[in-house]
Amino acid sequence: MFFAPILQFVTKRDLILKRSTFEHVISSMAGRNCLKGFLLTFLMVGMSGLHAQEASPQFADLAARAAAARDQQNIPLAIELYTQAEQLKPDWREGWFYLGLLQYGANQFPAAIDAFNHLLQLEPSAVPAMALRGLCEFETGAYDDSLRDLEQSIAHGAANEPRNEQILRYHLAQLLVRAGRFQDALTQYKIFIEKQVDSPDVLLGLGLAGTRVRLLPKEIPETDRGLYLAAGSAGYAFLSGNSELAASIFTELFARHPTAPNLHLFYGYLLFQHDSELAINQFQSELTIAPGNIEAHAILAYTEMIAGRYAEAVPEAEHVLAAMPDMEMALIALGRSLGETGDPKHGMELLNRVLQSDPDNLEAHMGLAAIYSRAGRREDAYRERMVCLGLAK
Amino acid sequence: MSVWFALAWPSSLRRIVARFSVAALIWLLSDFAGVLPTFAQSKKSSTSAVTCGTCHVGVATSYSHAPMRHAMESPGANPALETHPNLSVQMGQYFYTVQTKDGKSTYTVSDGKDSLTLPIRWIFGQHSQTWVLEKDGHLYESLVSYFPRDNGLATTPGDQKITPHNLIEAMGRRLQPWETRSCFNCHATDAVAGDQLTLDHLRPGLDCERCHVGAQQHMADAENDNFKTLPKSLKRMDSESISNFCGECHRSWDAVIRNHWHGPAFVRFQPYRLQNSKCFSGNDPRISCLACHNPHQPANRNDVSYDSKCLACHSAAKASHASTARVCTVSKNNCVSCHMPKVELPGGHTSFTDHQIRVVKPGEAYPN
Repeated sequence: MFFAPILQFVTKRDLILKRSTFEHVISSMAGRNCLKGFLLTFLMVGMSGLHAQEASPQFADLAARAAAARDQQNIPLAIELYTQAEQLKPDWREGWFYLGLLQYGANQFPAAIDAFNHLLQLEPSAVPAMALRGLCEFETGAYDDSLRDLEQSIAHGAANEPRNEQILRYHLAQLLVRAGRFQDALTQYKIFIEKQVDSPDVLLGLGLAGTRVRLLPKEIPETDRGLYLAAGSAGYAFLSGNSELAASIFTELFARHPTAPNLHLFYGYLLFQHDSELAINQFQSELTIAPGNIEAHAILAYTEMIAGRYAEAVPEAEHVLAAMPDMEMALIALGRSLGETGDPKHGMELLNRVLQSDPDNLEAHMGLAAIYSRAGRREDAYRERMVCLGLAK
Repeated sequence: MSVWFALAWPSSLRRIVARFSVAALIWLLSDFAGVLPTFAQSKKSSTSAVTCGTCHVGVATSYSHAPMRHAMESPGANPALETHPNLSVQMGQYFYTVQTKDGKSTYTVSDGKDSLTLPIRWIFGQHSQTWVLEKDGHLYESLVSYFPRDNGLATTPGDQKITPHNLIEAMGRRLQPWETRSCFNCHATDAVAGDQLTLDHLRPGLDCERCHVGAQQHMADAENDNFKTLPKSLKRMDSESISNFCGECHRSWDAVIRNHWHGPAFVRFQPYRLQNSKCFSGNDPRISCLACHNPHQPANRNDVSYDSKCLACHSAAKASHASTARVCTVSKNNCVSCHMPKVELPGGHTSFTDHQIRVVKPGEAYPN
């Protein structure tokens, strides 16, 4: 994509993905050959509509001078000339893109957002503009808009180029934590771990996601950073295969911060996929610290279901659903557990309720398969199992 | 054997008769004493003079030869290693040797310059064998295993993608704590207590208590003529539950699906494959694991012996009761040879019967 050459300037050394890095990239690239390369790519993607068509002599002159100023790294002049050119020809897409890009590089975020808005109105599928707008929105504090733009742009391939990927995913991960979408945030951070990116920014973000703190890293008080950094380090160690190091870091954290919320929950979450019994121990520890932690009750119920401890999962899930009647995790835990403990009818109702809103939910289909099987509904059970096989691939 | 007599006391005729019978049997069967969990071996022996075999003579005798009883072998008396005292194989740049002498086996890996030798303490498997090795307090799964079909060593199943970068990586795959608990818990008895490994206490292979939870209490109570505290009956479980129960070690359908495992490598997980079968039904005892397999006995390798199990549903007389059970138009015998084909594990060296019962069409890909 035409966006790639820009973000390719973010080298592995710059992976902290700070604004300053990106500013430097943008400003240092302006006027260089890379920008010509970018323009070439930009044009090659078939966005011919970006060209000024039937341009007036005045517009053509402004466009040429704007490009020259950009080539000479005279960013203020380039911004001014692009702005004037856009006043003459507001459907000049290329101009809006460069204007937004240069304004982003100059920390003129509201203006950059405006430029990208114009471009995206003209070209709604301009994924790179959407991604850049998302980064600008992050800087202006329009976090919900930023989350929407970054998520959509990544879904449409903005992060396919490895070096674009990290700056975009890092911002997205922070926003997901802020939005309380911790699972999704952890999925983003896992991508950094796979690439062995263990910068303090990533570790801090991972720690916040794991301990479910709905704040951006920059909002964390200095006094608390050590705790979340250590939690992130433990998570990083675990997810990179060093479970013994993770265990030792967590043990130390538990000793130093015996009442810190969600530390046991984080460790349990990490253990859950490998050993449900160990995970259950951690969730129970969490609940001794915070008995009212509904999410901990929910994940405990769910894990007890996974471990086949259905009788224990039933009251736990019922407790959660009394407080949060639509919580999917608890609906699944209760549905499957009821099916296994003698109330298949109610179990099926709950699992089908999950499937109404989430038709591809693997656990709900698995639960139905088990209930049908026990009921002797051979064909229904087989159908559900085949659905599961497809989903599990 | 003296232990058996010394600890018997005549408070109950039933116990006397039972113990005498067992003692006589032990005396007659030379290999029996080494297999049954005796008073001296039993963890609970300090308070109990009986074993499961005291009363359940037949099943205990039979079980002494069952594969689960030999899920882990003692290093000092391992027939496969004793009869192959010098095993070796070159794998890439590494050369492996497994040597057995005077009842002790060692595992050596060399890169031509340096070598690493470790004692084999834990032998997983009776026929095909993988070894768990200990180095610097960490446990490793040996990167090569013994395969009887080849009479030699080859890459351990599942480790084919590992490219070792040094001698330790070439020696084996370092096991995560939950892996070690899972491995030992399915291959040995009393190897795990809570979330801790208790390797000093383990007894190789699976004792009765491993499946029949409560057997120890039952024995202790039976000694006082209390026969009310029976272990939970596994016979009363439905096919779905039995499949899950066996699947705790042989891998359940749920476990395979949750781990997103697919491909021929997982054909060895029989409960998962069986539950993929169209004919599987969780409330039909004719399709449970126990319908075909007696876990107290060695597996029957005679395919024809399973025909009656298939025909329990797929015969003209039975089909009328189960409309989905079609009658085979090709043959009435040797059913499994067509409907449960052998599948080679990736990398070769061993094959497993595919328990996903089906009509296999020529050229059909492995279904998963």
